[in-house]
Amino acid sequence: MKSVRRLALISFSLLATIVALGPIIWAVSTSMKATNQIFAVPPRLFPTEATIEHYRRLVAEGVHWNFLNSAIYTFSAVAIAVTLGALAGYALVRFEVPGKRLLLLVFMGAMAVPSFAVLLPTQIMFSQAGLFDTRLTLPILYAAHIVPFAVWMTRAQFASLPRELEQAALIDGYSRWEAVWKVLLPGARPALIAAAAFGFLYSWNDYITATTMVETPQLRTLPVALIFFQGFHGRDWGALMAGVIIATLPPVLMFLLFRRYLIGGFSEGSVKG
Amino acid sequence: MTLEMTTRIQPSTGAPARSVRIVDVAKNYGATRAVSGINFDLAPGEFVTLLGPSGCGKSTTLNMIAGLDLPTEGKIIIGDRDVTTVKPSDRDIAMVFQSYALYPHLTVFENIGFPLRAKRRRLADADVQQKVMVAAGSLGLEKLLHRYPREVSGGQRQRVALGRAMVRTPALYLLDEPLSNLDQQLRVQMRSELKDLHIRLGATMLYVTHDQSEAMTLSDRIVVMSNGRIEQVGTPKELYHQPTNLFVAQFLGDPGMNIFVGELDDGRLQSIGVDLFAPPRIGSLASGISAGIRPEDLVVADPETARLKGTVRTVEFLGSRALLRADIGDTLVTAFLPAQLEFAPDQSIGLNPSSDDRVRWFDAQTGKAFDSQWLQPAM
Repeated sequence: MKSVRRLALISFSLLATIVALGPIIWAVSTSMKATNQIFAVPPRLFPTEATIEHYRRLVAEGVHWNFLNSAIYTFSAVAIAVTLGALAGYALVRFEVPGKRLLLLVFMGAMAVPSFAVLLPTQIMFSQAGLFDTRLTLPILYAAHIVPFAVWMTRAQFASLPRELEQAALIDGYSRWEAVWKVLLPGARPALIAAAAFGFLYSWNDYITATTMVETPQLRTLPVALIFFQGFHGRDWGALMAGVIIATLPPVLMFLLFRRYLIGGFSEGSVKG
Repeated sequence: MTLEMTTRIQPSTGAPARSVRIVDVAKNYGATRAVSGINFDLAPGEFVTLLGPSGCGKSTTLNMIAGLDLPTEGKIIIGDRDVTTVKPSDRDIAMVFQSYALYPHLTVFENIGFPLRAKRRRLADADVQQKVMVAAGSLGLEKLLHRYPREVSGGQRQRVALGRAMVRTPALYLLDEPLSNLDQQLRVQMRSELKDLHIRLGATMLYVTHDQSEAMTLSDRIVVMSNGRIEQVGTPKELYHQPTNLFVAQFLGDPGMNIFVGELDDGRLQSIGVDLFAPPRIGSLASGISAGIRPEDLVVADPETARLKGTVRTVEFLGSRALLRADIGDTLVTAFLPAQLEFAPDQSIGLNPSSDDRVRWFDAQTGKAFDSQWLQPAM
């Protein structure tokens, strides 16, 4: 009985792994196959001869510039949003802000609205403000989308940190800014990193906002640029898969680097429970 | 070890112990008056305790002295400097919090050294190292310096918090219920270590607790508070033997003073089971009157002729003595009696004050005690 359950469990895990990893492995494999091998019958999981020609083509087409655009937009949006969010989160915990509850509800509401639902009005507003199709367009929009989440995350974390920590730092000879910087922010690291990770994934993976708000090829993000490899005359699968792999790497790396922080447990031991 | 440490700690360059004066301090939160009429002082090197039940305003008072809260009225003077509105960082104080408030992302070493790294001090690394080692050495923390707060025990965290306070020899130490998170045994041990530390450092210390035994054992003087006001200021002995009001009489002592309430009739306080002679002049001062007798000031007497007559409820054997609980009228009376005496529940018993001057008299209306000359209610 026990072994049957075990077998079922292992089979299920195996299946889940194949479903999750299969497409990724296939994409890696396709990106490294010569074009004439991609549709070879029978299909082969591993290319007989690995090639980087597709990656070369991406560079030749200037896709690395789109990668750079994505990176710049994403990092500036995350930096702005997490900074603003953390300051707002701190203020909402420590200061008597008039209309605090309403503000929080507004932030919550802002999170509930899907960004594409307000895309058209946003486009009109941005056009009128001269912000349509500029280098600032996407960082502003991404940051605006991340801020409410960052506020909620950091607010909860700041609220969970004992007030005495900050008071101790004030008495130990530090200014309020220094106390926040040296004591509170390290304590809020899990929330900051979670907010940054959320913001990173959102901005990095966004397609719909980027394709609506930016037209100039030089300003395009990576996902938008890759769409053009779907072509008019049939898809360039090799280059497309190579692009997908490149686009997937940063989020995977980020997760591996910050995994430790994304799974909290920080303030344990600072005060007696 | 203690002597050696003394010589090592004393030469540090910090400020000498300062006096502290709290003048007419009051604090309102909105329309609520949290504390008012707070007046007391600390001599340089004195250990003073704010004692009172929870919610009496002692922590509010401490926070105002720390600068974490601003008083609505009054002045706070440390040394000869008015610091009423000065930032906490500029008051040259150290504080040990009930929760210890150790920085979780810093090691024990970094926690203790943290105050020395503040911009205003910015000591050289070697100096920080040396001072932290001295503080850690005197608290027995040398082996834990590389650990994080979550990796050390409750008692050790307590010591780290103390280390962080003493590393820079401040003008004044504020200690907010620093022992209340420790278990009983450790609390008693840390209590005597704290006393040692105070003697070694010669520092001015203001301690907050709701635990009267901590207050009694540690303090040079105690400030008893209730309901946002000071009830009495005095040495532990003064408070214990000459409480100026019923609150202090009942709050101090374990168990507290026995209080008998009644009308004064023909110079005697009489009620069911109670017949006590009042000092002559009291009759002219108040009619409603209370008499207070400490549990150890009662002795067993013949039930027929005793001044206090009642029935035994329980007797607890405490080793060197026994704690009797008896019903006298509708008052539950406690008395410490010799351990060899045997009583059974419901047995009738007589008790007398061990001497007339061991009875303390209070105006039942105001709760104020009559002073020893029996002339007027004590101030």
